[in-house]
Amino acid sequence: MSNPVTRTRTGRGALLRGLAYLALALFILTPLAQTVMLSFMNTIPREGLAEGEFSLINYLNIFRSDALTSSILNSILYVTLNVALTLIAALPAAYAFSRFQFVGDRHIFFLLLAFRITPPVVLSLPVFILFAKFNLINSPVGIALVHCLFNIPIAIWILESFISAIPRELDETAFLDGYSVPRFFLTQLLPAITPGIGVAAFFCFVFSWVEVVFARILTVTAGKPITMAINSLFGFQTDIGLVMAMTVFSLVPGLAMIYFVRNHLAKGFVIRM
Amino acid sequence: MKPQNNGAWLYLVPALAILGFAGVVPLVAVFNYSFFDIFTLDSAFWIGGEWYREILSSERFYASLGRSLLFSLIVLSVQMPLGVGIALLLRRSGRVSVFVLMLLAVPLVVPWNMIPTMWLSLINTENGLLGMALAKLGIGFDYKFNAVHTWIVLVAMDTWHWTGLVAVLAYAGLSGIPPAYYRAAAIDGASRYQVFRYIELPKIADVMFMALLLRFMDSFMIYIEAFRINAGGPDNATTFLSLDLGEAINGFSYGSAAAHSVIYFLMVLTIAWAFRTAMDRRGRASSEAIA
Repeated sequence: MSNPVTRTRTGRGALLRGLAYLALALFILTPLAQTVMLSFMNTIPREGLAEGEFSLINYLNIFRSDALTSSILNSILYVTLNVALTLIAALPAAYAFSRFQFVGDRHIFFLLLAFRITPPVVLSLPVFILFAKFNLINSPVGIALVHCLFNIPIAIWILESFISAIPRELDETAFLDGYSVPRFFLTQLLPAITPGIGVAAFFCFVFSWVEVVFARILTVTAGKPITMAINSLFGFQTDIGLVMAMTVFSLVPGLAMIYFVRNHLAKGFVIRM
Repeated sequence: MKPQNNGAWLYLVPALAILGFAGVVPLVAVFNYSFFDIFTLDSAFWIGGEWYREILSSERFYASLGRSLLFSLIVLSVQMPLGVGIALLLRRSGRVSVFVLMLLAVPLVVPWNMIPTMWLSLINTENGLLGMALAKLGIGFDYKFNAVHTWIVLVAMDTWHWTGLVAVLAYAGLSGIPPAYYRAAAIDGASRYQVFRYIELPKIADVMFMALLLRFMDSFMIYIEAFRINAGGPDNATTFLSLDLGEAINGFSYGSAAAHSVIYFLMVLTIAWAFRTAMDRRGRASSEAIA
């Protein structure tokens, strides 16, 4: 490493850093450890199984319930749809912001910012009424569409940073060679910004997966996502072990995504005024 | 300099179509509802600004606003320095940084309605790791009836949830600093503080400003997490703005809910506008400095 800061590090500094990371890991992992622990524990009175005893019963119970297993598929369906929609809409927009000045670009920036920071609860009621008219209740399309509100701005931000890092000559040569815009996007631009697509997809996936306000109001009788399936487990006698087993399941896709984008997680996010 | 090309609008059509349908249309609708007293959607009565008068003259609104502001203030003053601090450590950590970044991203993938459940389990005195530890130490922790304790849980939970994002954004900003800057600083004999103050801070200022805005708005309008911990209690000590709106929606008081929504959206617009103006000013100042 040619970085002078890494070269001058001392043993004492490394030790302090290690301690800081240890504290951080403890802070982040303890609630998760609690969750995993409870998920392997019998938490309600059952015949032949003491409360607090180690057991796989919670995980077995997930597969015994259609509502729980199908909710996992429902979530994956609308989140995938949302990521696809967001990327298709955000890529050309990010390209426009990266390469051109145009009348109203500052206003569009303002609009995107406003939509990203508008809390879902503010829009939940009219979105429900509007989507009911278009038959988008209980449908993955409805949730995928409304999650674009906060994901498109984020995706444009990330993709714009990555596109701006590509020299303009790439576009110019391609267009001189007679590429059409769609062909240029697919064969030249996309391969050049693959990590950016990965990072944008990661954040869209995550923010759609964890969102609950829209997901709840738009699934009345069917198509319940994993978050709502977990909600319905709360009742007079909540089987907290089952809740935690389901929570552990809900973390798997997100953790897999983190692993895939690990080397690019903190790139992009450049702000150019 | 980027070329001027108004044809670029065509590239924005898909994004604007989606935002228009899922965002602008509902906003117009909610604005419309806010002037009606709505029993069912078929029987609504025009009452003009009555809801606004009721909300803006109620003590409850200002009390919730104050609590939301206080919550944001505490959360920001904890998470921003912590996130930047972690990013500065990461900058000096070589390959370990990838693992730490992965660790930081983990809380982001937990569904929002499960985070309160995790934390409540953690402080449960019967089988919660933290709850049992506190009980052993003889510390009575009562998040249900002690307002200060409820606030501590909320701030700790929010910090757990979001500090990773601040750190990731700060680290992204730091990664953009060319190594030559550090070398130049080392040659000049700059102290650690001077490197931070004159090299790192100006370079990450823009992205941290954005992080500040995101964290401010998300904590200012915290809903599910706060509701799940103590439903606004004890004695409304954690009733934030969004919880009032949620209550109006759940009580089928659509007109009042719509008026709340419009007021909150106007707050969002004001903040976004202030943010953009501040960014513009910064942008102009730095381009003048170059010229």
